[in-house]
Amino acid sequence: MQNSVLEVAGAEKAFGSTTVLSGVDLAVENGEFISLLGPSGCGKTTLLRIVAGLLSADRGTVKLSGADITGLPTHMRGVGVVFQNYALFPHLTVAQNVAFGLKAQQISAGDIRATVAKYLDLVQLTSMADRPIRGLSGGQQQRVAVARALAVSPKLLLLDEPFSALDRKLRELMQIELKRILREVGITTVLVTHDQEEALVMSDRIAVMNKGAIEQFAAPGLIYQKPASRFVLDFVGHSTRIAGTTAKTTDGLLAIETAFGTLHAQSGYIPGSPVTVAIRPERISMSMAQETPPSVNVLSARLTDIIFQGSKYHLLFENQGDSHLLVEAGRIPEGMAVGANVHLHWSLEDTLVFPGAQE
Amino acid sequence: MTATERIWTFVTCLVATLVVVFLATPLVVTILTSFGSSSLFTLPPPSWSVRWYQRLTSVRGLGSTLLVSVEIAALSTFSSIVIGGLASIALVRGRFPGRTAIGTFLTSPLMLPGLVIGIALLQAFRFAGLRDVWTSLLLAHMIVTLPYAVRTIYSSLLLFDFTLVEAARTLGCSPMQAYIRVLIPALAPAFITSGIFAFLASMDNYAVSIFFTDAWTKTLPIMMLNLAEEQPDPTIAAISSLLIGLVLIFLIICDRAIGLRRIVDQH
Amino acid sequence: MSDRTPDRVALLALPALVYMVIVFAIPVMVLIGRSFFGPSGLSVTPYIDFLSDGFNWRVIFNTLRTAALTTLVCLVIGYPTALALSWSKGFVQAIMLVAIILPLSVGVIVKAFAWQIVLRRDGIVASLLMATGVWDEPKLLLFTETGLVLGAANIFLPFMILPIYSVLKLIDPSLQHAAATLGAPPVYRFFRLSLPLAASGIISGCSIVFSLATSMYVIPSLLIGDRYQTLPTLTARAFLLMRNERLGSTTATILLFLTIAIVMLTAWLVRRREVQT
Repeated sequence: MQNSVLEVAGAEKAFGSTTVLSGVDLAVENGEFISLLGPSGCGKTTLLRIVAGLLSADRGTVKLSGADITGLPTHMRGVGVVFQNYALFPHLTVAQNVAFGLKAQQISAGDIRATVAKYLDLVQLTSMADRPIRGLSGGQQQRVAVARALAVSPKLLLLDEPFSALDRKLRELMQIELKRILREVGITTVLVTHDQEEALVMSDRIAVMNKGAIEQFAAPGLIYQKPASRFVLDFVGHSTRIAGTTAKTTDGLLAIETAFGTLHAQSGYIPGSPVTVAIRPERISMSMAQETPPSVNVLSARLTDIIFQGSKYHLLFENQGDSHLLVEAGRIPEGMAVGANVHLHWSLEDTLVFPGAQE
Repeated sequence: MTATERIWTFVTCLVATLVVVFLATPLVVTILTSFGSSSLFTLPPPSWSVRWYQRLTSVRGLGSTLLVSVEIAALSTFSSIVIGGLASIALVRGRFPGRTAIGTFLTSPLMLPGLVIGIALLQAFRFAGLRDVWTSLLLAHMIVTLPYAVRTIYSSLLLFDFTLVEAARTLGCSPMQAYIRVLIPALAPAFITSGIFAFLASMDNYAVSIFFTDAWTKTLPIMMLNLAEEQPDPTIAAISSLLIGLVLIFLIICDRAIGLRRIVDQH
Repeated sequence: MSDRTPDRVALLALPALVYMVIVFAIPVMVLIGRSFFGPSGLSVTPYIDFLSDGFNWRVIFNTLRTAALTTLVCLVIGYPTALALSWSKGFVQAIMLVAIILPLSVGVIVKAFAWQIVLRRDGIVASLLMATGVWDEPKLLLFTETGLVLGAANIFLPFMILPIYSVLKLIDPSLQHAAATLGAPPVYRFFRLSLPLAASGIISGCSIVFSLATSMYVIPSLLIGDRYQTLPTLTARAFLLMRNERLGSTTATILLFLTIAIVMLTAWLVRRREVQT
């Protein structure tokens, strides 16, 4: 843990009788970009505010570069924040906003000017330096907020849903732009978001939060391919789920009895327990009923609907009229039309098993 | 929060609490005095009584004065709402030059000293040969009440969605019907509050009225001013308490009509 | 709405406009004009006469001094109150709003008369100061400048609180948080953030209270008496007691110009701030 910039240990917080954080531990390495991802009310914003000192935890400690800052007021912490609405000072110009934090410290006017110029250049707003805040576009406001937070050289940068006020196109552009800026500065960053794509695109690691606790803290690929819990599976990406009951394990292969026949998975479960089998929809391959697929897990179903989504298709299948199975494909295999009987198959590694029946 | 911030928060809340007490002081003192038995304004009074309220009936001219005040306030308020409401529609919907200037002009009596307006009107009415006290008071009070009507109705009209009138027209209303059936109900809260505040401003006015009253026709504030100068006793406190009660009733109506927070926005 | 021509809507403003021009604008213009006309045509003699009298300078000084003191007291206690009001919620906020709106809606004479009672030798303030040991013996606050300023500040305080509150409640609370995360300590935040953001409210509050205090008439008549003359009391005396209309017109016009100057100064200050930001 020597390398950790931020260490949160046992953070608890309740508002009245509502528990918002129930003992959260989090360690962020130097230079790392992590995301706190979760639905609203999961406690991610509360955790961010506790780290920034805008809220005090009921229990637990916050350490920054090894120093305990739990009781320190916000202005003495050295934690920069980009707020959801950017919180730019409306009575100041772009440059004055960036200079605000520097002026609060005993820094010479010349140094302030140089630092402001440097960060305005970094976010490519040099030409807007003397503009008032009013009249800036959303993207420009966000860049001012980033420059302002970075100008005071914080040890840690917190981003609170920074893209939520931007429209979709601009959001994608700004995500890439912000990643470039932060890489250039090399600052440790924590992003709070409810948008999984944003977290997947930007983060080195993602902490998925639910009901005041971190369910999984891992690299984006791992979060997507090996979700640690049903919640993570549901929250990040789509999945096709099939309810079943475990049967005996032979040669390390777990057999699961489902409405679609017997499926196989890797891990060990006691026979007779109810489970849910989940597969990421794009990992499912399709072939016409007369061919014999090579995979270990195969089921046949009838294609009921094809939904065009621009770059990809969503195909809906059903079997015996009850379960809807989702498959994602880049193109429709030749000769496949609504009503066709299709073999769906996927590999053993892509078969995820979670305890409990599907709700 | 740091210790400094905590101290400042405490000081702020303490000042605010004291200010609330400070603001309530004159009203509480007035009501307590009016129920005291002593004529010497001792607080708390030695014993409680309603003698000052009973004495009200024997104050010479109080009834007719009250009648004059209410007549003038009601008539000037009503006329102001009518012509002020029409002017507000013109200012919001019209496309003619100088709208902002006209709006400022119509509300400008609020910003000027009442005494100066009173003197200007005194000289003008005298020049025009207008000697009747009642008519002079009415004409002068409309200058006091009109700004309230214009200010409140104008700001409500700015928020009004005029596509509703167009919607009413598509449903078969004539332009006139559309305005009467859609606009008037939507503006009802504005009429009520502007009416109440204009009425109160007229009832309380002394700066303009003082130049137009004579020994026979007075308004209530002028009579109270005379009483306070000539024979200050808790009778005035009793009249004041009744006025406070009236204001309280009006404010409850306003609160029902638009809510406390929007009353604040009107000021 | 295509069938309505702009001209026809504009006509709706005519009744109010005509009334205000005839009954308000022309009389005020005539008042100003007449104050510049002596027996022998256009002249500033009445003003020279007025201003060459030391007593009258005293009157102008009294007017401005009382107004300034009243404004200062209102600002010092009004700002924290507006701040607390912007923090408050629910029941507390309702209580505070009632405490501000109710006195505001009650007539000035009622409140000024109440202050006559409060400021008496045996009044509440004297008793309070005696009880806390600030005073050794009861003194009369009525008919003193302190009493006048206290009463006037009480009566005009809502006009200071409401404009400041209306600005404060619009300020995004995350601005304070943002300033803190940038390393700005509380005092710095107050002077560089809170005050500049509230400036337009403070300016208009001060302007309203100062104008009202400059033109108040009943409050000084009841709380300080004839001994202490201000422009409005002198104006009223000139008309009602002395029957000296030339003097009254002069003081009224000075008072009018003073008020207009305050309004214009305020507008200029507010516009300058808008240009800056």
